[in-house]
Amino acid sequence: MEFLQPLALFGLAAATVPALLHLLQRRQPPTVVFPAVRYLVDAEERHSRKLRLRNLLLLLLRTALIAAIAFAASRPVVPTAFGDAHAPSAVAVVLDHSLSSGAVVNGEPRIDRLRRAAHAIGREAGAGDRLWLLGADGTPHQLTGGEWTAAVDALAPVARRLDLGAAVRTAAAVVGSQSLPGAVVVLSDLQATALGDAAQVDVPVVLLDAGSGPGNRGVGAVRVEPETWTPGGVVVVNVGGDDTSAVEVRLDLDGRALGRGMAGAGGSVALPVEGVGPGWHAARVELMPDELRADDGMAVALHGSRPAAASAVGGGPFVDAALAVLTATGRVRPGRAVVLGDRPEAGCTIVLPPADPARIGVVNQALAARGVPVRFGARESGEWTLASDLFPLGAAAVRRRYRLDGDAAVLATVGDIPWMVRAGDVVVIASRLEEDWTELPLRPEFVPFLDALINRVGAGEVWRVVAVPSEPLRLPGSARRLLLPGGALAVTAGVPVEAPIDPGIYFVTDAASDTVGVLVVRADPRESDLRTAAPGVTRASLGGARLVDAEPALTRAAFSGRRAELTTALLVAALLLAVVELMLASVGGARVRS
Amino acid sequence: MGERLDLLDPYEVAQLGGIELTAGGIVEGFLAGLHRSPFRGFSVEFTEHRPYQPGDELRYLDWRVYARADRLAIKQFEAETNLRAMLVLDASASMAWSGALRRLTKLQYGQRLAAALGLVLLRQRDATGLIAFAEDVQAMVPARVRSLQRWALLKALTALEPGRSTAAADALRRVTDLLQRRGLVIFISDLLFDQDLALRALQFLRHRGHQVLVFHLMDPAELELEGPPEVRFEDPESGQTVVVRPREFRTAYREAVRRSVTAWRGACRRSGISYLHVRTDTPFGHVLRRAAERRARLG
Repeated sequence: MEFLQPLALFGLAAATVPALLHLLQRRQPPTVVFPAVRYLVDAEERHSRKLRLRNLLLLLLRTALIAAIAFAASRPVVPTAFGDAHAPSAVAVVLDHSLSSGAVVNGEPRIDRLRRAAHAIGREAGAGDRLWLLGADGTPHQLTGGEWTAAVDALAPVARRLDLGAAVRTAAAVVGSQSLPGAVVVLSDLQATALGDAAQVDVPVVLLDAGSGPGNRGVGAVRVEPETWTPGGVVVVNVGGDDTSAVEVRLDLDGRALGRGMAGAGGSVALPVEGVGPGWHAARVELMPDELRADDGMAVALHGSRPAAASAVGGGPFVDAALAVLTATGRVRPGRAVVLGDRPEAGCTIVLPPADPARIGVVNQALAARGVPVRFGARESGEWTLASDLFPLGAAAVRRRYRLDGDAAVLATVGDIPWMVRAGDVVVIASRLEEDWTELPLRPEFVPFLDALINRVGAGEVWRVVAVPSEPLRLPGSARRLLLPGGALAVTAGVPVEAPIDPGIYFVTDAASDTVGVLVVRADPRESDLRTAAPGVTRASLGGARLVDAEPALTRAAFSGRRAELTTALLVAALLLAVVELMLASVGGARVRS
Repeated sequence: MGERLDLLDPYEVAQLGGIELTAGGIVEGFLAGLHRSPFRGFSVEFTEHRPYQPGDELRYLDWRVYARADRLAIKQFEAETNLRAMLVLDASASMAWSGALRRLTKLQYGQRLAAALGLVLLRQRDATGLIAFAEDVQAMVPARVRSLQRWALLKALTALEPGRSTAAADALRRVTDLLQRRGLVIFISDLLFDQDLALRALQFLRHRGHQVLVFHLMDPAELELEGPPEVRFEDPESGQTVVVRPREFRTAYREAVRRSVTAWRGACRRSGISYLHVRTDTPFGHVLRRAAERRARLG
């Protein structure tokens, strides 16, 4: 129980007045000579018990009456589930306006219902309350009641994921830092993928049960193979979400469909594309529209280039044969723009270890002369498996290789040991591309691998950085400007930048204003999965949260210090006590007059 | 004295003079309003004529006088002197109490009432005596009808002092012993003693053939309990004290008084005793008139 006017409690001392008056009056009663004492004795014998009871009742009534008035003056408030008022509270509202909040449920975007609940919280808040709003960025913003409505209305679905566990922890920390009682309110579609790590918090957490979401498919991920098309390649589209029924997947470029396929959630489709001209192209993968439109499309950057002019010197028979195939099919042009052999050449070169181990020192000297910080080390034999995220190597086995010493970008590995590295326009491979060294030349991936390797090295450095909205990232060292719709953003080497909030393709230029790469901003694919976790799992993950299904219950639970002021009830009680006292006291009086 | 003293407030009457001076006035006033002897004896005797006044009973017209003198005259009678009346006055300490300054104490009232009754009885030529008692018999005037008896009674009443307490048992026993010859016993008291004891004494008198008339005197303040919020009431006779809140006890007290009066009235009626409850602010004439009526009923 709290008191809004605690000083009035001193008035409780007045409750002792009836008892004190009673005692004082009893102390020194005057003596009066009265012959008819026998009548008094008779009357007392008959009525003293009744009178004593009546007097005791009157004393209690009068004491209770004064106490009730004193209590009423102190304006006591008590916790209750039905009171109109609540104690000053600290409430942090996590409003999940992530991408999935744009899903249409029962003809209404889910974000609208979440906003309504947030507005209900704002309306309930009083002058003594402290409110925070946490959006998808997870940053708490303290707002006044007047700012609340506008801030809530400004939260529209954004293409980013909100980690509810982290948000609840942040909100709980904010609420817990206050001296007021409070709660964390989570307004979210409660996707299972949004729960994150379990939050153990010390403040009450209240969830609005938004109901189950609709089935959904979204573009989960897009992979372009190879990085540079000369002039064609494959766009591999992974379909995310929870609806496994197949729908059409289309790749559009400049309003023209480059490829079509069918896939459902969890599946993927490869869309081969030919005839892409040199340079960067902003294409788009589209799915058939569903209740969540925001994940039905994704931008994809295609890079086309002319076939590289390449030749081989001392690469071995498998290299010569593959190069002949590539030249015959037009994937590679004859020339020396890219030289593949057992020694470093001028320009772009792919260096293999020499067949004669005695020449390894000469090769190392030549690498040093070109300024390449990589050397062939000891030759080792064994059984390793090739692995690379950049090239189609098909997990081919490696039996013999040189150790690559030095610092360079790793393009492929064998057992986590660098097998192919790049330093500038020089690529160094640890094994000769022959059957005694590796089974790669015997595998069908060998020619595509050589195609990708020669054209990638020949085309120079091109890169794609994929990020989710607002993700901090570092662009490659050649990047100088990030071209945003509102203007170019200068990029300093080594300094992280934040990915734009809107999904799309953002080109990056170098110091010469040439486009050297793209930043591809994609929505988090987890947002496409609209399935909710079981209530028990959700509660456990969010600090033992309480799940409510309507705004009134939500506001009651949010302002946990909900209370009712007892002033009116006490005044009514005092009035009733006064009436009872008057009746009890006047009963005797009426008899006297009768 | 142009006014009838019997109808005045007793306190005002007392302010006019002593008992010996006012008792006669009270009786004169009382008798002036009567048309016949108030306390008739067993036989009556013609005494004189007086002029007829409107309202007189026609049966007392003396037709002979009318025939002879052509005037209307009323025959007046008086009781015979064979009635022996004894006034028994309680002079205990409780009687010496008044609830207001301008009010006679019960004893003062009783003295004047006894004097008036005595004079009335003596005027009827009834032998009238007086016994006053408190813890013992304080005054004793034997019943006589002689001419000086009036002064003997008034002297004894005037000299009466209130007692310190009431030894009711002994006093009443002594009184009954003194009342050997049967007659009319007029008992004037506040009856603030043991009811059974007093009743036994009165019944004893009745059993011996006395006609008994009880005047139960009460001060108006004894009928309604008044006083400060809380007060210690002390009995002047026994010294017993009771602490009460008059406002709270008022009803219960009134009920107790009513019960007591009712008990006295019922007990007296059952014993053939006339009982009159008298407030000490009641004019003497009213009391005498009620007593005369009650006496008339007794025959």
